[in-house]
Amino acid sequence: MDQLKGFKLEPKQLRMYGIIGSVVGIYLTVGLNAMTGTKVFSFIGCIAALFAVLWGANSIRRICSYGLGTGVPAMGMLCTGMACVAAVFGLNIAGRFGFDWGGPIITLVYAMVFGYVVGTLCNKVMKFNIPIMEEGLMDGSGACTMAVLAWSVSLSGSLSYNEIIATVYNTGFLAVIFILGGMALFHPFNANLGPDEKQDRTLIDGMMVGGLAMFGLGICSIVTIGFAPAMLTIVVGFALWYYFFVWYFRLAKRDAAAVVGTGLLPPSAL
Amino acid sequence: MSLVFDTNMLIYMLEIIVGGLLVSVGVHFVPVGGAPAAMAQATGIGTGTVTLAAGSGLTGLLSAGLMMSVTDNIWPILATGAVGSMIMMDATMLTGDFIYSYAVGCPYASAKVNYDPITMFPQPPYVAPGTVGQGIPTVCFVSGTIGALLGGVGGAMIYYPCLQIGGNPAQAAIFAIGIFFVQAVIPSWNIQGTIEGFHDPKFKKWPLAFKASLVAGILLAIMTVLIQPLGVV
Repeated sequence: MDQLKGFKLEPKQLRMYGIIGSVVGIYLTVGLNAMTGTKVFSFIGCIAALFAVLWGANSIRRICSYGLGTGVPAMGMLCTGMACVAAVFGLNIAGRFGFDWGGPIITLVYAMVFGYVVGTLCNKVMKFNIPIMEEGLMDGSGACTMAVLAWSVSLSGSLSYNEIIATVYNTGFLAVIFILGGMALFHPFNANLGPDEKQDRTLIDGMMVGGLAMFGLGICSIVTIGFAPAMLTIVVGFALWYYFFVWYFRLAKRDAAAVVGTGLLPPSAL
Repeated sequence: MSLVFDTNMLIYMLEIIVGGLLVSVGVHFVPVGGAPAAMAQATGIGTGTVTLAAGSGLTGLLSAGLMMSVTDNIWPILATGAVGSMIMMDATMLTGDFIYSYAVGCPYASAKVNYDPITMFPQPPYVAPGTVGQGIPTVCFVSGTIGALLGGVGGAMIYYPCLQIGGNPAQAAIFAIGIFFVQAVIPSWNIQGTIEGFHDPKFKKWPLAFKASLVAGILLAIMTVLIQPLGVV
């Protein structure tokens, strides 16, 4: 039990993993799908979202440890709410110029600018005086937007604006993404906060909920991408959930003060 | 195709920004108590601002959407949104008060004022020691209704241009909810999670949230009006 090694990642490292992982994952999903002419590789989109979850959960963890007074979910909801609009903004602008592939980049840049501006407003106008507010909100909204976009791509299997609107927005599956994605991003810190909060435990919790979200979205995607590709998402999602659940359980045991079996009542008490 | 910018888009942007500002000011009126209120240790509704804003905003959107299916005139749509949102908030506050009164068994009292500004009843004798008020007294109830009115009008005012731009109700509703959430979280950070209503000293801070929501609203409005339906390629 004591041999379990944790990890510690710097915010800059995580930002790099998040951006590269999610952008490359989205392109890989769409590219492989287009190359093979199937939707089999849609599950990679969900894995791309996991990188963004890692990035976003860490930024929410950093900001909310200052105590905003509203509870952790508020920040997740701000970022996810903005992400619902921003995710298709880039796709639409790129689609209008006939350059579909640029969509995720435009989305990412606009979301990060938005986060930075809101963070500046919080510090300068509302007098929060949290030194990492700008940086944290920039990371948070960028990560939420990439996660929502990656999940949308895995539901529709393509990067075209019209298809994402038809399969994700019109069917209402965005509500599922909204709440499951929000859960993956804000639940980890909400569940693990406290004086003994550890980065690795929080982030692994996020990955676990991300796997659960993948499982849920797999069920949704039976309608949109067909049964066989959807089953692949469900199976991979379940496997990821189980893997991270076991990992998380071991981390929780590591951080617990003591794990003792109390057994039944002693004979003298009976 | 390229980017086109005309007067209509400017009007849509203005509607989204003004709607967001109404939501932002409306949040300051709603008596939110958070977890302490859920344990009857603080005045207000026992849940977070975001949950309440989502509840009243979504009800407002639903009723506005219903009206929008029969008419294109903006005034009845705004009025229906406001009424739907007010009904939801009042029902929540009334049910909450029933529970505080009959289940928890505490009198309603505000700890922020000595006399209720509406009923003129003295408050301090009824505040239990060690708490900051309980339940939802008259002034908070009235304040919450005003907040829901502003929130409902704001939500409907965001939904209306979203639907006019895209002509797609599902997409417009999701955009409106997204913008609504942003505009509800910024003021709730400003009041640090709890407020009693317009008589609370924290209410004087609303211009700060107004400024922040204005800038955030402009950024969101630019994004929303630029998303135009694409022809099938």
